[in-house]
Amino acid sequence: METQQLTTLAGVIDKKMNRQLKQYIDICARCAICKDACHQYVGTGDFKYLPARRAELIRQIYKKYFDKAGRFVPALYEARDPDENLLEELYESTYACTACRRCMYFCPFSIDTAWILSVAKAMLIAAGMGNEMLSQLADAAIMKGDQPELFRDVLVSGFKDIEAEVREITGDPSAEIPVDKEGADILYVGLAGAHSIRPAAVIFHEAGASWTLSLFESANYGFFLGDAEKARKIADRYMDEALRLGVKEVVITECGHAYRVAKIFHEAWSGKKHPFRVRHILEVIDEYITDGRITVDPGSVKGAITYHDPCQIGRNGGLFEEPRRIVRALAADFRDLTPNREQQWCCGGGGGIVAMSEFDEDRIKSGAKKVEQIRATGATIIAAPCENCRLQLEQLRDHHELDLHITPIMDLVVEAMPLAGTKAAQA
Amino acid sequence: MSDETKVDLELDLKGLLCPLPMVKVSQNITNVPVGGVIRAVATDPGAMADIPAWAKSTGNEVLKAEKEDGEFVFLVKRVK
Repeated sequence: METQQLTTLAGVIDKKMNRQLKQYIDICARCAICKDACHQYVGTGDFKYLPARRAELIRQIYKKYFDKAGRFVPALYEARDPDENLLEELYESTYACTACRRCMYFCPFSIDTAWILSVAKAMLIAAGMGNEMLSQLADAAIMKGDQPELFRDVLVSGFKDIEAEVREITGDPSAEIPVDKEGADILYVGLAGAHSIRPAAVIFHEAGASWTLSLFESANYGFFLGDAEKARKIADRYMDEALRLGVKEVVITECGHAYRVAKIFHEAWSGKKHPFRVRHILEVIDEYITDGRITVDPGSVKGAITYHDPCQIGRNGGLFEEPRRIVRALAADFRDLTPNREQQWCCGGGGGIVAMSEFDEDRIKSGAKKVEQIRATGATIIAAPCENCRLQLEQLRDHHELDLHITPIMDLVVEAMPLAGTKAAQA
Repeated sequence: MSDETKVDLELDLKGLLCPLPMVKVSQNITNVPVGGVIRAVATDPGAMADIPAWAKSTGNEVLKAEKEDGEFVFLVKRVK
């Protein structure tokens, strides 16, 4: 690699490193407490997944270029250039990380390795080594936002098909999936598939909510890629829609990272304060049940059920009690995982890793702790309000031959509602 | 596009939720030669927007994207 390119890559670190990140770089004591907190390291035993090691690679580059001692005596201070070898190692340790931030929770100094790895991703992208699949998924999403006229008819046609199903489920021929409804209270942002729209439409209808469906999906592969500009553009699609329609709130479907993007990051990325609030669909459903706007059968869920906190909703999003209240309202036998809430183990499926086939083997290994937790409860049903978590849990179930039904919470809610229709919530 | 289009690879994407149909097409596009065609069948309606958007942004071509008997059928040509 040429000197100029090395300097350019080091410049990315310089640009991204704020005081907080520099402090993280300086204060890591290499105590390795993080090794016992990381599901990937625990599941694989692979040194490259040790959180302190992941951050160490960035630390080595930082020392080479921005630390006097490292610059003059690099061998003594483990200072390194971002050459091909380092970047390849960095790629694996960075894109495999699910950004669950469990290591930060247990670190005595609360070092945010996922934040440090956002610097690594920026550098990898600058070196042309950003993950290709995540990049393609992000670009496709941006394409839909840039040229909505190309996709609008096919999307609305799909929504009409789902609307027909909602009418069968509710038994109400007037049930609607409104699109582009100005002045609606809620803009609901689902995922690309019908499974995230159908149950929400039933719940909104039964609650008598004033709502409209976004043309765009909430999933944000620009966020997983580590490209803040692409991530902002993807979120802008529905945030601009919310502004145009004048809604009072944006409600994000059962998705982990999309909630965090909308709730926590988008205002910072766009530099604009939202004139509406952002909530997760589970906050809304919890409110509907508490306020009596929807009725649910408290014995609807048969058998033992547990709940998995998706990292971006729980530890990184702060929603712990709302989903548990909903599940408890539907089930007589709720058994929490241990540990849970802030200390919940990552299932191993976050951070976009389910779309990166090169990590498949390690991804399944990294779910060992989650499998251990589920087995300890004896539950045969697990509710998980995140698409990536559910995909990972399904593959863990198949791999470990678990007797386990994996479900979104919305489906359980619809199944527990006294509806006049005869069709089940999910096809 | 006629049904006589030569298909180089068949993908059964039924049951997969978006964006996985798009991911599978992307992962398999290099398994056909340039000019080759993938025939993919999905059941998630989101694929009707996702796969054409992916093709447009990657410079590939969707020859067909149609709903047939409740399934979504795609013919995707590898352009480069």
